Amino acid sequence: MMQLVTLEVNGEQHEIAVEADGALLAVLRDGLGLIGTKRGCDTGGCGCCTVLVDGRAVYSCMMYTLSAQGRKITTIEGLAADGKLDPLQEAFVNTGAVQCGYCTCGFIMVAKQLLSETNNPDEDAIRHAIAGNLCRCTGYHKIVEAIRLAAKGG
Amino acid sequence: MNDYSVIGRSIPRPDAWEKVVGGRGYPVNLRLPGMLHGTLLRSPHPHARIAGMDASRALALPGVKALITPADVPRIPYSATFFKPATSAAVVRDMLILDGTVRYAGQPVAAVAATTASIAEHALELIEVQYEELPAVFDPEEAMREGAPEIHAGVRHNVIGRPTYSLGDIEAGFSAADHVFEGVYETQRVHTCYMEPRVCVADADAQGRVTVYASVQHLFGLREKLAFVLGLPVSSVRAVQPPYIGGGFGGKLDLAPIEPLAALLSLRARRPVRIEQSRYEDFITSSRHPAKVYLKTGISRDGQFTARYARTLLDASAYASEAPEVIRVHSRFGLMLGYRCPNAKWEGTLVYTNNMPGGAFRGYGAPQGCFAVESQIDEICEKLGFDPVEFRLKHAPRCGDPHPSNAAWKLDSYGFDECLVRGAERFGWRSRAKAASGRGVKKRGFGMAAQPLWVSGCLGAPDTYEHSGAIVKLNTDGSADLATATIDIGSGQTAVLCQIAAEELGISVEAVRLSGGSTDTLPVDAATHASRTTYASGIAVKAAAAAAKKRLLEVAETMLEASAVDLEVREGMVRVKGASAHAVPVADVVKRAESPFVQITSKGTMQTVLAEKGTIIGTSSLAPPRNPSPASAQFIEVEVDTDTGEVRVLRAVYAHDIGRVVNLAGAEGQVEGGLQQGIGYALMENMRFEPETGACVTADFLNYKMPTAVEMPRSIESIFVETDEPSGPFGAKGLAEPCLIVPAPAIANAIYNAVGVRVRSLPITPEKILAGLGKI
Repeated sequence: MMQLVTLEVNGEQHEIAVEADGALLAVLRDGLGLIGTKRGCDTGGCGCCTVLVDGRAVYSCMMYTLSAQGRKITTIEGLAADGKLDPLQEAFVNTGAVQCGYCTCGFIMVAKQLLSETNNPDEDAIRHAIAGNLCRCTGYHKIVEAIRLAAKGG
Repeated sequence: MNDYSVIGRSIPRPDAWEKVVGGRGYPVNLRLPGMLHGTLLRSPHPHARIAGMDASRALALPGVKALITPADVPRIPYSATFFKPATSAAVVRDMLILDGTVRYAGQPVAAVAATTASIAEHALELIEVQYEELPAVFDPEEAMREGAPEIHAGVRHNVIGRPTYSLGDIEAGFSAADHVFEGVYETQRVHTCYMEPRVCVADADAQGRVTVYASVQHLFGLREKLAFVLGLPVSSVRAVQPPYIGGGFGGKLDLAPIEPLAALLSLRARRPVRIEQSRYEDFITSSRHPAKVYLKTGISRDGQFTARYARTLLDASAYASEAPEVIRVHSRFGLMLGYRCPNAKWEGTLVYTNNMPGGAFRGYGAPQGCFAVESQIDEICEKLGFDPVEFRLKHAPRCGDPHPSNAAWKLDSYGFDECLVRGAERFGWRSRAKAASGRGVKKRGFGMAAQPLWVSGCLGAPDTYEHSGAIVKLNTDGSADLATATIDIGSGQTAVLCQIAAEELGISVEAVRLSGGSTDTLPVDAATHASRTTYASGIAVKAAAAAAKKRLLEVAETMLEASAVDLEVREGMVRVKGASAHAVPVADVVKRAESPFVQITSKGTMQTVLAEKGTIIGTSSLAPPRNPSPASAQFIEVEVDTDTGEVRVLRAVYAHDIGRVVNLAGAEGQVEGGLQQGIGYALMENMRFEPETGACVTADFLNYKMPTAVEMPRSIESIFVETDEPSGPFGAKGLAEPCLIVPAPAIANAIYNAVGVRVRSLPITPEKILAGLGKI
């Protein structure tokens, strides 16, 4: 059953018809064309679909769209909205933390929450923060380095 | 450092800029106007004959535009393997797009295309299939027994083949041995776990020509296999190259059912059809074959190998696919060729079962062999008191030796000894603690393993595509467009190939852009696999860049009033060698070539000549001359909790003869990612199946465990030995695979060093360690 909802995504209001029992991920990708949020597994296992909801990282495949109403949703497209990359995005490029890149946006969103809560996280804090996200290319080494670099201000 | 201006630098991958803001280029993002959603109906049974199928209710559902059943597909048997010719004698053609018999749980039996995904899903529920269930067999040893179910008609005892390898006199070798070691080493089925799901969009035009966009590792393999299974000429299929795909690791190296089914649905509906696999479907599409290796080694008193015998039982799964090639690579590069021994013998058995398909996975048969060989060498060294580093050095080939897999070649560049020596030094191997040291319940252990011989492509393998090609085109702003049909699966050629082109052209790497194309416009290229791209595609890119540069210098002759042979390009300037002041920018030379007959310049009008006219372009299409061997050594420190059996990998040092580092950050990234897959293989990854139905019960990331950032060691060091391969582009050779082959035995050896428990089957779970300690 379809239902009309209003979602606030990256600071913009969107009125959109959604499946009542559908996940936020599908609405972001197929409804709003925000393809930076990736589908990896649909079961909350990989983190490719991570977005921020009221500043907290969530798997968008595991959140009902209806639950996201009235909350501030930020996707990767919301980070460089003014054309200037976020320090995390810069750091991911410059450290070589991006390989196939399919998981990258999810990692950046999770790191965004971490850095909004902690100024200078140590390595353990970074590793635990990103432990809900899988990467098959990098061994996480340069991802950790990128987050540390961004925490220091790039 | 070297004398190159671009080669050897760490450069950001050009595609990373786009990937951090969303990454539009993944095939999974593609949508076409009027596109339909395709879905597959899959068998719940592991072995059954389809006695009947009624799809009339599904077809009648509004929104359903096409439906394919086994009766609708061409009866053309094929092998899914991309990188061998479809009609090669080296492949077993035992598959149909949809078959009247299913041989594993989850095998597709029908496909639907509809205007929405939910209509397509609903339509599947309306298809009535009468299955006549057949007895199934999942264990390869049981599958070979008399009276076991026959999985493919006429294949006696389900044995596809019994390949062998032999050198010298094995009996005499064992007679001469003072010590004999033997053991059985088992490895499990694992999945590549690429992050981007397999997806395919097929678009048939009014004349029946099919354009296909897919997340696969071989553009020309996709075209050739798709045309073959559809019974079309290759020119009726156009495969479009994506700018990049979301991982592969071998898991996208063969034709999945979705590609021909999307094409058939599109041909029927005459609209684009998209099929995107669920993660469950990805898990059951391809895997690393499980193997059981019996290894027996004869050693003389002074520590020389006198005989090496091995026997491998490989579960080929429901369809042969890559298995015949996997077991060949396994026998040579996994088991027999890495260390010198005058007498060697290997016997392999490839067996059909009703298990999900095997396929390619980084390392391709070698991990199953390396685990056996490198574990047993550790056992030998432990028992006879040899140092594991010295022992390996003693038996390894030397630089300049004939290549063990092809006597026509020599190991022209070969730095295995340096890998061992430098790796051991960096790791502190000589000062490592004694076994089972450390107070309390947590014990530290140190282990190593090596892969003395590997490949930089497939030259020498039977019937395997190995050529590459490139197009380099210079622009009037001094930049260059580079096109090759190689697929960047995350492996970094977007950066590496641009560096090679830039170095050859004498322009900055930022001025080279990798652009796309399709099988209509690009020269043929082999797959992105077998550690080949930097070496083999790199040679082609260098040749195309050299051809473009030759033309550039010819056009510059009149501008610089010098012969082309006296000209060079450095830092974007064409100059007379030795006279750096006499130079013109590359951009000006290209403008001259592309300009009308009178060129207007800042110095006024300038006459140009007919012979200079045209785009400055260089092309290449060639096979690499050699298949040079990389080599590698892995050193690992672990901590084993003797109360819980939990293993933590604390530190890894990896040394690899890469010939020449092209992009340092990219090379390190390969090693670090390979270690993640290697630790997973060693300690946790394992595909499990419901024993009655053969249904995969680990087909998601909650049940299939791979290392997260927390399980990875804090310290990973990569040492790159640069031996300057004479045939390689600027000396480079292969990197990608050994870094996943060696971690499992190195970890097993470190665990033994820590707690004295020798585990000969992967994954090494806490249960196996506690059982070894006698605690459970």
